[in-house]
Amino acid sequence: MSPASDPRLGPAPWSAAPPDPRRRLALRVLLMLALPLAVWYFGWLVSPQRIGNPVLYGLLIAAELFNLIQAVGFWLTLARDRPRPDPGPPPAGAEVDVLVPVYDEPVEIVEPVVAAALRLRGARVNVAVLDDGDREEMAALARRLGARYVRRDEHEGAKAGNVNHALGVTSAPYVLVLDSDHVPRDHFLEATLGHLADERVAFVQTPQCYANAPDGGIAAASWAQQALFFGAIARGKDGWGAMFCAGTNVVFRRSALEEVGGFPLTSLTEDFELSVVMHERGWRTVYVPEVLALGVGPEDMASYVSQQQRWARGCLGGMASALRARLPLGMRVQYLLSGMYFLSGWTVLIYMSFPVVRILTGEQPLDGASADQFLLHFVPYFTVALATVAVAGGGAYTFQAFALTWANAWIHVQASLRALLRVRGRFVVTPKEGGWRRQPRTVLPALVLFAVLVGVAVYGIVRDPSPAVLNNAAFAALHAAVLLTGASLALVRPVSPRPPCAPPQGVSPDRAAAAAPAAR
Amino acid sequence: MSAAPTLPRPLRRARDPARPGRWAPAREQLAAAGGQVGAGVGNLVFTLVAVRLLAPDAFAQLAAFLALYLLLHVPAGSLAAAGALAPHRVAGARRRVLSGGVGVGAALALTAVPLASLLNVGVALLLILALAAPTAGLIELERGRLYGSDGRRRVVASLLTEPAVRLTVGLALAATVGAVGAAAGVVAAGWLSLAVLRTGAGRHAAAPARGRLDGTRSAAAPAAMAGAFLGLALVQNGGVLLASALLDAGEAARFAVLATLGGVAAFASTTVPLVLLGRGASEGGRSSPLAAALITAGALGGGAVVIVAAAPELVVTTLFGERYAAVAPLAAPYVLAMALLGLARVLVAHRVAAERWGQATVGLVLAVGALVVLAVALGGGAGGVALATLVATALLTASVAAPSLPSAGLRGSARDARQRAAQRMRDALASPAVRAVIALTLLALALRLAITRGIWLDEATSIFQAGLPFGRMLEVLGASDVHPPLHHAILWVTVRLLGDGELAVRLPSVLLGTALVPALYAAGHELWDRRTGLAAAALGAVAPLVVWYSQEARMYALVMLLMVVAVWGQARVLRRGGAGDWAIYTVATVGLLYSHYSTILPVLVQQAFFLTAVLRRRREGGAKRLTVGWIASLDVIVILALPLVGFGLDQFAVNEGSGRGFEQPSQAGAGVGGRDDPAVYTGLTSLVWGIWGYHSQTTMAALGSLWPLLILLVLALLGRGRSRAGTLLAALVIVPVGGMFALGLAKPFLFELRYFIGAVPLALLLGAHGLVTWARRPAVRALAVGVAVATMLVGLVDQQVNGANPRTYDFDGALARIESEARPGDRVFYAPSYLNNIVGYYTPQLGARPLPQETPRVPEGGRLFLLASFLENPPTAEAVGTAVSRLGEREELVGRFSEPQIEVWVFE
Repeated sequence: MSPASDPRLGPAPWSAAPPDPRRRLALRVLLMLALPLAVWYFGWLVSPQRIGNPVLYGLLIAAELFNLIQAVGFWLTLARDRPRPDPGPPPAGAEVDVLVPVYDEPVEIVEPVVAAALRLRGARVNVAVLDDGDREEMAALARRLGARYVRRDEHEGAKAGNVNHALGVTSAPYVLVLDSDHVPRDHFLEATLGHLADERVAFVQTPQCYANAPDGGIAAASWAQQALFFGAIARGKDGWGAMFCAGTNVVFRRSALEEVGGFPLTSLTEDFELSVVMHERGWRTVYVPEVLALGVGPEDMASYVSQQQRWARGCLGGMASALRARLPLGMRVQYLLSGMYFLSGWTVLIYMSFPVVRILTGEQPLDGASADQFLLHFVPYFTVALATVAVAGGGAYTFQAFALTWANAWIHVQASLRALLRVRGRFVVTPKEGGWRRQPRTVLPALVLFAVLVGVAVYGIVRDPSPAVLNNAAFAALHAAVLLTGASLALVRPVSPRPPCAPPQGVSPDRAAAAAPAAR
Repeated sequence: MSAAPTLPRPLRRARDPARPGRWAPAREQLAAAGGQVGAGVGNLVFTLVAVRLLAPDAFAQLAAFLALYLLLHVPAGSLAAAGALAPHRVAGARRRVLSGGVGVGAALALTAVPLASLLNVGVALLLILALAAPTAGLIELERGRLYGSDGRRRVVASLLTEPAVRLTVGLALAATVGAVGAAAGVVAAGWLSLAVLRTGAGRHAAAPARGRLDGTRSAAAPAAMAGAFLGLALVQNGGVLLASALLDAGEAARFAVLATLGGVAAFASTTVPLVLLGRGASEGGRSSPLAAALITAGALGGGAVVIVAAAPELVVTTLFGERYAAVAPLAAPYVLAMALLGLARVLVAHRVAAERWGQATVGLVLAVGALVVLAVALGGGAGGVALATLVATALLTASVAAPSLPSAGLRGSARDARQRAAQRMRDALASPAVRAVIALTLLALALRLAITRGIWLDEATSIFQAGLPFGRMLEVLGASDVHPPLHHAILWVTVRLLGDGELAVRLPSVLLGTALVPALYAAGHELWDRRTGLAAAALGAVAPLVVWYSQEARMYALVMLLMVVAVWGQARVLRRGGAGDWAIYTVATVGLLYSHYSTILPVLVQQAFFLTAVLRRRREGGAKRLTVGWIASLDVIVILALPLVGFGLDQFAVNEGSGRGFEQPSQAGAGVGGRDDPAVYTGLTSLVWGIWGYHSQTTMAALGSLWPLLILLVLALLGRGRSRAGTLLAALVIVPVGGMFALGLAKPFLFELRYFIGAVPLALLLGAHGLVTWARRPAVRALAVGVAVATMLVGLVDQQVNGANPRTYDFDGALARIESEARPGDRVFYAPSYLNNIVGYYTPQLGARPLPQETPRVPEGGRLFLLASFLENPPTAEAVGTAVSRLGEREELVGRFSEPQIEVWVFE
């Protein structure tokens, strides 16, 4: 990525700010409607008269209850979305160690991060490049820019180990961790350090934001997923006091890190585990809903799959920690909800199986229910639930994001099976530059499911085009369409990044953002 | 000594012959028209006297001779226009015209014998006609010359000479010699008329016409003028030729009567363009001959229309006798067609004189083409050919009017403004998008004219109501109907202008439904962009439900059009806020309320939208203009809609009091969801109907089962953002549907797609916007729209031709079959009783009666026909079942047949 085309130096394409009063009112109305409509639907669904095939009915109820729990959890999270008061200026004379762990990322990805870190205002900064790749060009970069270059002899623990090692060779009271692709804004520390004036605060987390999201493709779809999390969900978790560390764009109190022994080395999502431990020790966390650093999202399906596999494995494993830890109930629920999200792939598989089973065997989960009755109870609940996601996300959550989740539901299944079988995963750094080629193998499970759904639907229509079979074929077509939409992101050649506004060398991203056109 | 100064008496300003007075064109037109009318009246009097003087067969011979005489003069009439345009060239053309005339005469004489047997006309008459041939062209040429060289007095004299000679010499010879004498008198009148024209010809021979630039006019102009007037003659007389070719003798004769009446209007305005050509297009802007010509032609033609329309039966029977009374309803429309032709003649002359004969040619070609196509398509009777003529002349007038009107008598800034508007129109017509809309509109018209079903129940009721006197119609609506009166008023006028034929009564809906296409383009363009407008126009052109109700003589096409216009108007108001925009919105809204009561729901939604806009602009600053306009518009709407409140309450009270109410089961989703009251499935059914039209129960059950695909549609909306336009349209779709659904829970009959049909075109608008914004690549967008159009076309074809469509009721077919099989003495009954209007429409002479409670008896020696429909209605099914059963016990069932939704039993 050349400086001239680096979107991280341009304006942020998204805002994490709380909703305006009108959207807040709309959300409140939706939340008031959501629970009664859920009761309306489940009150009808959970009834002996509805039981068709008992096994299928049981699966349906399990899937629906799981999603209900997720939905209620989401609503409860949203209910605590409140603006946080301004923290005040950073402590006078503050000193911050800025740690940039790198492994095999290209120099041109890392250089803007280091250069911007050196320009941070609000405190005296010591920027260190933590090179686990032991590369001479990274050392040269650090020398050239005037940053410290840190290399370690042992390379255990991946990123967590790298940061822990750096903690041992640095000493500032505050530590800012930046991923190798996240370019901080000049006022990052001015916006965050003030929260650390409260001695009980362990870290201040800020949003991740993919600067390459406007380019479309995987980056856009995955960003839409992240936008929902770093928007309404993160603000809500902050309201519950349960915001966890996301691994980058986060300022720590060194003493909090030292108290817990640094980042845990045993988890694929060390940030998640770290947060559980800190919360258990009584530390508080803060979330600042302002985009203070711009990074790069996965640009191809392989990168996305790698990222999701790591997160799924790590968060599912982290659920055990959350269950074991002594945490307040609300906080524990928040952690469990985040981990449970990576079980939702099972519900996707269950839903997809129903039309296939019905067409092939005639068995169905529900009985004694006309389409009219089903629609009358299901549609209001579904509509309000979907509208809540749409309004809470401020329009950022897209159909492509939804489809991407469905097309990669197999990742959740794989991760949960591995977690059950205690198969250890391996920390794989998410690639920062895309492969710019089609990657059908990365979506092979989705394509197989698509083929099964389409084949069964066609078989059913040809054999018996009755309304009942057509109905199930329509469900199969629905699932197939969603799968194909998600999988298509790997089947079409990725769009190469379009040149955004990029400042001349030496101009800070903030000046570039101020001079650039409004957010894309 | 000083004398008081005296003011000199003001001198009368001397008239400058080079600058004629302001009213000169009007005076000249009146004078010429007066001569023409006088000639026409005189010739008509000659005919009326001759019919009494001569024996019937002799008069028939004279009538045939006069028709042939007219055939000689009508084409020659084009020479008058050429002569008026270039009078200095007449001298050179005289010899050629004379030679041509002599040649025609010789040919007539030589072929008199075979022609006589072919045309059933006497040989002597043909020989006399041959004598008239040389004068035909010369008379017209000389008249033209005189028009062009300020010899109008001589023209008037020649015009009046003809009837004078006919009435004297002609009648005298008729009384003594018979038809041949009368014919000789006619020919003599022509020769004398020519003599009058040629007297003093030398004085005017070289005088150029005033206001003419002969040096700059091309040599082709006179020939072009002659060709144009020949085209006009084709349009005028083409109907007679087509009627003779297409219709049976009786209908052809009826059309001939119409043509005679219409000829009066056409004849009266014949001289108008000639005077115009003589004066020139303009004279320094101080007078406007075109305006005078148009006013004169309009007054003459309009006067004829008024006279005929005021008392059509009286005019027809007085002039032609009782046997032709049946054509009375067609008299006014046909005379209107000829009146329009008079206007077109003036405009064509103006265009050709301005050497813009291309525009005139296009108009003439369109008109002749439309006349032929429509006459063939509609020609089942005199009414069809009359309608074809009306459409052709309207098309011709409209096509030549637009470019001509900018300079029609306007002055200064008004003319400039009109010319700027004309230029904008020309620029718009050059746009590919506008051309595409025009093409889509023509496609829409063709689809809507392809009607595949007969009149059905509600239409028959409306036609019956429209046939009543206007006041009585309003009384009947108030006492027995449930709709406001706007469409009924339109139908009332239609029936009087065009009659009550199937196409005639549906023509307003056809035109309104066609106009929906450009309206959708305008609304889509205003709300979003041109791409959305084009996609919406494409969908609207082929949407099955829109086509269906564009073919129904009810208010639904009107509601759909007004709904789109109201939305368009509102968008313009919010964007521009001009008085014209407010007028568009206000008029459309009042029209909506006067078309269907359920439109109050979308009207309220639009008002709520205005309120939010006012509040928002108040926050932003600058709401005054919008607030004032909104309040004024609302005041006008309320004031104009107030009478409806009482009217509607009366209707409601009468309906509830009589027990009719709204207790019928909902028609929506009938037979699909297995229930009568509104339910989710009936909503789904309405959605399918709204987008893909009406289909058989089997098809609807299959389509309804595909509802999971709607989940995909909802999911696809995630992340698409929100716009005010989309919010407004969504509200205008959801609120009326939801409102009628809620009302339908109490009164099932109310949840009926027709009662929220205004939502259909708005849904098409939303869908169009979704299709064109769904994908980034233009090819994919075009494919999406193409696929949507293709699915609608499939739905349209199935809807229109599939006999299993439960909305298709073939009363026409069933009654026609009964009529063809019934013999004198047979009795015909029908059930339910409210089929009376439709039975009366198709077979008024059948004497059919409603099925009585006591089962009727088969007449002695005759048969009994029982026609039944709406058998899904339990009381009807029970009554019919009982009657059939009892009749079956007593009589023999000798026949039974079915037409879509109709059953007929025949007992003997």
